[in-house]
Amino acid sequence: MAGRVVMPFLILKRVLVACSTVIAVIVLSGMLIHVVPGDPVTAMMAQSVSATPEAMAEMRARLGLDLPVWQQVMLYLTKVLQGDLGTTIRGNESVLMLLLQRLPNTFALAVSGLALALAIGIPLGFMAAVNRGRIADTAVMFIAVLGVSIPAFWLGLIMIQLFALKLNWLPVAGSSWRNILLPALTLGLTYCALVARMTRSALVDVLEEDYIRTARAKGLREHEVLFVHALRPALISIVTVVGLVFAYLLGGQVIIENVFSWNGIGRLAVQAMLERDYPMIQGFIVVFATSVVIVSMLIDILYSFLDPRMRQK
Amino acid sequence: MTKHHLRKVVSALLAAAAFGTGLSLSVAAATDLTVARAVDADSLDPDKTSTTQSLQMTNLIFDTMLTMDKDGSLHPGLASEWSMSEDGKTYSFTIGDGLKCHDGSTFDAAAAKARVDRAIDPATINPDRSLWGPITGTSVEGKVLKVSLSEPYSPFFSFLTGIQAGFICPSSFATADFRPIGTGPFKFVSWTRNDTLQLQANADYKNFNPLVENPGKPHVDKLTFKVIPEAVARMASLRSGEADLVEPSLEETAELKSDGAFKVYAAELSGQQVLAAFSWKVKPFDNPEIRKAIGMAMNRDAYANIAFEGLVHTSNCPVAPNLFSTDEELCATWGAKYDPDGAKAILEKAGYTADEPLKIKLVAHKLSGWDQMHQIMQQDLAAINVQAEIETREVASHFDHMTSENKRTDGMPYVWTMGMSGVDPDYLNFLWKRPGFVNMGLNEQVDTMLDEQRRLSGDARAAKIHDIEKYLMENAYTVPLLSPGWNWLMASSAKVEGFKLGFMVSLLFNDVTLKQ
Repeated sequence: MAGRVVMPFLILKRVLVACSTVIAVIVLSGMLIHVVPGDPVTAMMAQSVSATPEAMAEMRARLGLDLPVWQQVMLYLTKVLQGDLGTTIRGNESVLMLLLQRLPNTFALAVSGLALALAIGIPLGFMAAVNRGRIADTAVMFIAVLGVSIPAFWLGLIMIQLFALKLNWLPVAGSSWRNILLPALTLGLTYCALVARMTRSALVDVLEEDYIRTARAKGLREHEVLFVHALRPALISIVTVVGLVFAYLLGGQVIIENVFSWNGIGRLAVQAMLERDYPMIQGFIVVFATSVVIVSMLIDILYSFLDPRMRQK
Repeated sequence: MTKHHLRKVVSALLAAAAFGTGLSLSVAAATDLTVARAVDADSLDPDKTSTTQSLQMTNLIFDTMLTMDKDGSLHPGLASEWSMSEDGKTYSFTIGDGLKCHDGSTFDAAAAKARVDRAIDPATINPDRSLWGPITGTSVEGKVLKVSLSEPYSPFFSFLTGIQAGFICPSSFATADFRPIGTGPFKFVSWTRNDTLQLQANADYKNFNPLVENPGKPHVDKLTFKVIPEAVARMASLRSGEADLVEPSLEETAELKSDGAFKVYAAELSGQQVLAAFSWKVKPFDNPEIRKAIGMAMNRDAYANIAFEGLVHTSNCPVAPNLFSTDEELCATWGAKYDPDGAKAILEKAGYTADEPLKIKLVAHKLSGWDQMHQIMQQDLAAINVQAEIETREVASHFDHMTSENKRTDGMPYVWTMGMSGVDPDYLNFLWKRPGFVNMGLNEQVDTMLDEQRRLSGDARAAKIHDIEKYLMENAYTVPLLSPGWNWLMASSAKVEGFKLGFMVSLLFNDVTLKQ
């Protein structure tokens, strides 16, 4: 009964914290243009062959740079809360629309990469924990260290060499459904190492608990001990890693998206940074931060389901 | 999951991959061409962009009023005839007959007028507005478009051959959302920003460009531009056959050149010029002799042959080769000749020795080839007792930085490098007339000469441009280094024939055929 009363309150509390965090990010992002050294308009129009004073003045007015800083930040906050992230400097397109157009690509890549990482990482971690100290454990941990150490960029290029050039099975670059296989596999292999390490570590801790010893003493079969009594508590640590990895992936796997020319928000952000398209960069920060906040909030709520003690806290 | 299920999943994945591969092979029909580029266009509206990558795309969709041959001579474009009034303030263009826009509408003098009006309308916020010149009004008399200017503007004809002056059909901007509709060799099909741009050959196309042989519809039916930012992946796409033509990395170009399966294209008509310039307001670079000594130390042959793999040429003039009035031999008589011993003697006379070198900054932006060039330059300067600290930035930051640096009158002196491109020497005006590009403007004498060249034409104008170049070089305000310097390389598989690079690194696909 207590749990039922506490849960809505807990969710409400988490939502309020999440909202205030997002607002803080919007305010900070609104101030970004003032933090960067130099005149942003000069920098943005530096490559224009004939950036006239009139064009630069118009650009300043369009960005609201002729207003006091506090007014600019409040204006930005108000617009963002109304769903208006402004328009890009190059191309004059809606920032929100561009981000929304690419978000499904990034989401698809994040989900595929994470699914592969979990599909490979959890069984490996599980196997290592169960065989702690044996060859299987050492082998899995060696692979995990290797996986964590290999730069995703390098792994991606190796994947291209192998699957696109040598075997000619998959295309090098693009954003169609068959193009997702290589980047997803690269992400899966990169993050499965982290998942495997975390799974092993969490499971090893749980397997040393008294209640596991009791379960075994009661004569329960090993798979019952592992899957019924050990897995659920170990999931809390795994969920934390999964949440963090997923939030990171949602931010756009900048390097992977560039290597495989995957048209997600990470690539969009890189392009915006190179072009100094501030409204686009600000929009990316807001969307990325909001994604992280939402995922963190969902993890917090998920904890409460996985571990009833969290509700009492 | 049982072994059986696992096997089924793996088989399904492999089948999907194989299906995907097969699909890509079947799509790549003989008359489709795929081009992989590092950076996408930022707009397909020529009045909203000034980047080479964007204008390379718009130039495929939109024709120009006039065209230019290799020797810089003017040829018909959308205008079959053109003339300038005696006072140089009125320009007339007779628009050719039977010109059709991609949507079937007629391109006539009224359409041309609407296009010019839009380019110069302050509401358009055209970044290249000033290049259109001091236009005061336009009018139509039958098939003739008349453009009135407040004062003579000689570069106008040349400008109208350039990729910045694509002639948009009025239906492009009839609604709030811009639609890229022109009369050019390719029609717009679709564009997913940062991903793919698809164009289709214009069946009704009639060519005017003297750099192109094919008089009509391009041989290639479909043209697909894919954006692949990573150089290694781009090269892999060429080697795997996924792309037919790519922007190669400079590092891989030498290898490609020696491989018979590929072809390398370097732009000869880029209009690009790479220059070194000085903080001439800061001591000791306020002394032309010291600036000259720096120029004498620069081994431009090494920059071209080592840093740029021998794919670019040294250049002698402040304006790129192939442009109106450019005379490389004449410029060579004005500029500093490579003479490190002579340069060292000048520096020593000024009090700079190996123990007490002249400390400067070498300010540059990051770009392939340029980084190596600056390292060689640093060694060149060290040899004449100049200790140069290299400071690099991204392109936009570099020019932002130079805007404030060029105002400086004290502090550490610096040498900096930059590139400029165009189809007319008038870009000297943009660079050197006060305040000048990133505040590099010089003085009243130069301003006057730059204004005068705009009011002259023919030999008189060429002579005036030579005067300006002579002044810049004899006073060592600039050291011409190389041409071209950026976005100038392309590579293709050997089956691609007829690809050309035009002025300002425009991409010419009209003659391209795919050898089976």
